[in-house]
Amino acid sequence: MSTTITQDRHREVVDALVGLAPDGVAYVPSASIAPIINGALEAQEKGDLPLVYAVSREEEAVGLVSAYPFADKFGVIIMQDNGFGNALTALTTMAVSYHLPLLIVANTRGGLGEYNSMIHSISEPVPELLRSSNIPVFRVDRRNPAEDWGATVKEAGNHAKMTFRPVVVLMEFYDHKDAKAKA
Amino acid sequence: MKRIEALQAIVDATPDLPVVATCAATSRELASIEDRENNLYLLDAMGLAISVGTGLAQAIKDTNVSRAVVIEGDGSLLMNPGAAITAGYLAPENLVVVLLDNGVYASTASIPTQAVTIDLGRFAESVDLKVLRANNTEELAVALKQTLTEDGPWFIHARTEPGNEPGTKLLLIDPVVHGDRFRRWLTPRLSA
Ligand SMILES: [Mg+2]
Repeated sequence: MSTTITQDRHREVVDALVGLAPDGVAYVPSASIAPIINGALEAQEKGDLPLVYAVSREEEAVGLVSAYPFADKFGVIIMQDNGFGNALTALTTMAVSYHLPLLIVANTRGGLGEYNSMIHSISEPVPELLRSSNIPVFRVDRRNPAEDWGATVKEAGNHAKMTFRPVVVLMEFYDHKDAKAKA
Repeated sequence: MKRIEALQAIVDATPDLPVVATCAATSRELASIEDRENNLYLLDAMGLAISVGTGLAQAIKDTNVSRAVVIEGDGSLLMNPGAAITAGYLAPENLVVVLLDNGVYASTASIPTQAVTIDLGRFAESVDLKVLRANNTEELAVALKQTLTEDGPWFIHARTEPGNEPGTKLLLIDPVVHGDRFRRWLTPRLSA
């Protein structure tokens, strides 16, 4: 069965997350990353991920997975970039201040292919908001082949552990070669 | 009961358990009783204590550390009630949340909270936490004993008087050093 470039990217990201062997994955839903969340849930069913669960808000996810490193464990958050406003106080006063490694993979909104007339107001400043809060940001988009999406997620997770801080991968799904790629 | 009396009861019940404390006066008063290595003070991060405690409960599940204890305030819980909903949804049986409910934001000029009229114990019940109620230190000690021996997720709704303990020192600590002290206390016990 052939797959689209977007499906390949979803698969690469899920495989990279499984490869990082996190102790828990918290997610806040978004249509763009639903296939990644569903992939993580399938990996949990197969026993490849131990714990994949929904939270009601992004800062909760930060609180939950921030606790893992105190027990020498590591967590991942899957979310959408418009939730970084919700997450920022928890990220800075907890994860950044206590030097707690965690990985966030987030889809971007508000860019090419966006249909919503206001979401860019939060999504556009997110990289600057994060970088000015000492949270490193790595980005992948239509110019990156699927395997590079996976490699970036994997190495970003290692980078979080190596540098004892939260690390964010921003994923822009728009691709002119795939009509179904969501913003 | 005063908050510091409630905190003393929690300290007495948790000599060998990790205790996550919400920010400001609660953490300061806890440290003033005894600055134990098993205390994790959230120096800011208001509203995050239940989330951190839930994550800790997940992280220590099936280890030799039997409980993750959280000390939360009414104002802080109200800032992020979703954390309690998620705790009820995830239902870690090794989680013990102690809500010290004085009906005010004691750390911020004792401005009344919504808990003046909203029953946060009833709220916790509605999100599937197992609720015990304590109006004095004796009831709190009994409730704590039950939560440390029977499976949760527990939520002890403890009513305390408004006000802060006078003369309590500020917690002038480096969060990295503090967090690492907690981690070095916790991790050897997980497999011990
Ligand atoms: Mg209060």
